[in-house]
Amino acid sequence: MYPFASLPENLVSFCEVLRRRHGFHIGPGELHDAARALDVVDLADERAVRNALRPVLAGTLDDVMVFDAAFTQFFFPDPAGLRQDQMPSTRTEPGTDAGGRESDAQRARHAPASGADADEASGLGGGPMTPLESAGDGPEEAVVFAPSSYSPLDANTSDAPELPRIERAWSDAARLFVRRLHLGLSRRWRPASRGRRFDLRRTWRASLQTGGEALSPRWLRRPRRAPRIVLLVDGSRSMSASTRATLQIAIALASATMRLEVFTFSTKLQRVTDEVRRAAAGELRRLDCLHHAWAGGTAIGACLRDFLRRFGERMVGRDTVVMIASDGLDVGVPDVLRDAMRELHRRSAGVVWLNPLLETEGYEPTASGMRAARPYVTTFTSVNDASGFARLSRMIRLRA
Amino acid sequence: MTDAAAIQDRFRERRFIVDEAFATALQIMLALEKPLLIEGPAGVGKTESAKVLAEVLGTELIRLQCYEGLDAMAALYEWNYPRQMLHARLSEADGSSLQEREAYIFSDRFLLKRPLLDAITREQSPVLLIDEVDRADEAFEAFLLEVLAEWQVTIPELGTIRAKHKPHVILTSNRTRELSDALRRRCLFVWLPYPSLPQEIEILHARVPGLSDRLAQQIARLMQALRALPLQKAPGVAESLDWALALMSLHREHLDAPTLEQTLGCVLKVHEDRGVMHAHRAALDPLLGDAPVNLESGGYSLDTDFGFGSVSAPRR
Repeated sequence: MYPFASLPENLVSFCEVLRRRHGFHIGPGELHDAARALDVVDLADERAVRNALRPVLAGTLDDVMVFDAAFTQFFFPDPAGLRQDQMPSTRTEPGTDAGGRESDAQRARHAPASGADADEASGLGGGPMTPLESAGDGPEEAVVFAPSSYSPLDANTSDAPELPRIERAWSDAARLFVRRLHLGLSRRWRPASRGRRFDLRRTWRASLQTGGEALSPRWLRRPRRAPRIVLLVDGSRSMSASTRATLQIAIALASATMRLEVFTFSTKLQRVTDEVRRAAAGELRRLDCLHHAWAGGTAIGACLRDFLRRFGERMVGRDTVVMIASDGLDVGVPDVLRDAMRELHRRSAGVVWLNPLLETEGYEPTASGMRAARPYVTTFTSVNDASGFARLSRMIRLRA
Repeated sequence: MTDAAAIQDRFRERRFIVDEAFATALQIMLALEKPLLIEGPAGVGKTESAKVLAEVLGTELIRLQCYEGLDAMAALYEWNYPRQMLHARLSEADGSSLQEREAYIFSDRFLLKRPLLDAITREQSPVLLIDEVDRADEAFEAFLLEVLAEWQVTIPELGTIRAKHKPHVILTSNRTRELSDALRRRCLFVWLPYPSLPQEIEILHARVPGLSDRLAQQIARLMQALRALPLQKAPGVAESLDWALALMSLHREHLDAPTLEQTLGCVLKVHEDRGVMHAHRAALDPLLGDAPVNLESGGYSLDTDFGFGSVSAPRR
């Protein structure tokens, strides 16, 4: 029944499968803990084994959501006899929104973890594996990845945007931008030569040099709050003229701060933070992993709502500056966009909207999408070169 | 306390209902002596589970509530400087030697133990609850890692203090920010979701004695339905319990539309969510009214198709 004869072998190869195919972070330490965990439960009880291995091997909610399917797939493969390495990855298995509370987590599984995974996703659909929790919704899974009506092309390779090389002027502007984002003071206290609070511990320590008399006082002060930035890039066709500048901003910001998240969207939302980081390090030249997050139509409202649902609570807080680069030509219902923008505005330190159409003479933000979003935008401008980006740092308004 | 079923029973005795997966996670945590990181939506009993665990183990609970700006001083230890200084001044003339005075000033008497140091100096392993760790900043997380890995604290004046008994550590997080991978790797991880319908009914009965079966079922069903709506702040178990208590104190036998309106404040905590609820009223209405809910047939769930096309649900 089991792939290997002995328990340690089975465990090791199960961990290997989890690590390779599902992107779990499992090292020797976790493996050792897993073996110890199996010591304390009844090995004949499948559920107990499952429940014991899950807390050890799955480190995040995403991991938890694929663990059970992977476990079943490994130890109880169906159809019998299929080798483990021929099984499709569960990580890219799109869930459907049928269930109430599981839908959020399942949605989190949509985003392919890496470029390699994304390639596999397009070949999904007829895999022999049926995960326990999503059993029965097989036919609907294909729908999720079916091209939508306004992006008939599979934008996989032909339209994949080239990532610009990082330029000095841009990265300088980005550093300036990050430095000038004033979000008030943090709640921590740090030692400083001048400050607002007396540092008894260091003062007394220093007084040892002066024979126990505290002659030179030491102080504590609150350091500046470090901003987090979320950049949402509109990758729809109508934006193609200004793509270069937007991606340049993303890469320049990635070189200036680690507290950055980048997403692209057109009809679907996709997280590209890792790709942009690699581009900033000069390792990546092309964004290949985008499916429906590039060169399609635009569903800004739906994509922002999707962003808020999946990443909002982790990534948007009062330290977060949300930057949206889009022309605001939304094909969706304006109400959806308005609600999403209100929510973004409420939870973040400020919303910056970069609209390339502002460069066009006589442009008024009268498109329905833009009109819906405008009240919740704290800074509305356009950036098409490095000096424009540097200027942005001066005009940005934030709620401190 | 060796297997999951025993843990479940002991928790149930203390009116805390846990499912098998969570009980096993606790069992593994105790066996492996590793910290357990609990994530889940607000109000599902993450903090409460640590309290109950302490009761079950018959040990003390030490709680470190994380907040923005929490630093090592507030989490570990601090010398009581004013007292030390006072003592140094007063003992100048008492004739004791310098060594004696120094040893006295830097002794336990002048050390203010904060939760982390407190936890590792106990004679019996306490349950250490590090609550809402996502609220502390990243710098604190790095510091925490060090303590969780080594179980020792170095105080320059006293030397290194090693834990005599490793505490049972429970960390909770509401996912307001991403925790570092390093912290995750030190911990076992368990996701505590909203309870299922039968579980929630069981919880209501366990926590609110005297609650009628029908009302418990109605509340639980309505809660499940509400959580399926696109609310900004979905109600947790804590809200269910509040609601049950509110309804009991109003002497309501069942939930109907006016009662729902009156007591909505127990459940929905954001104004916009009321609008969302009213927009989906058609789905909730079948759950209201004094008609007994039929548990065998599964009641009316949101996606029940009655075979009448657009007719959503028959009432009575």
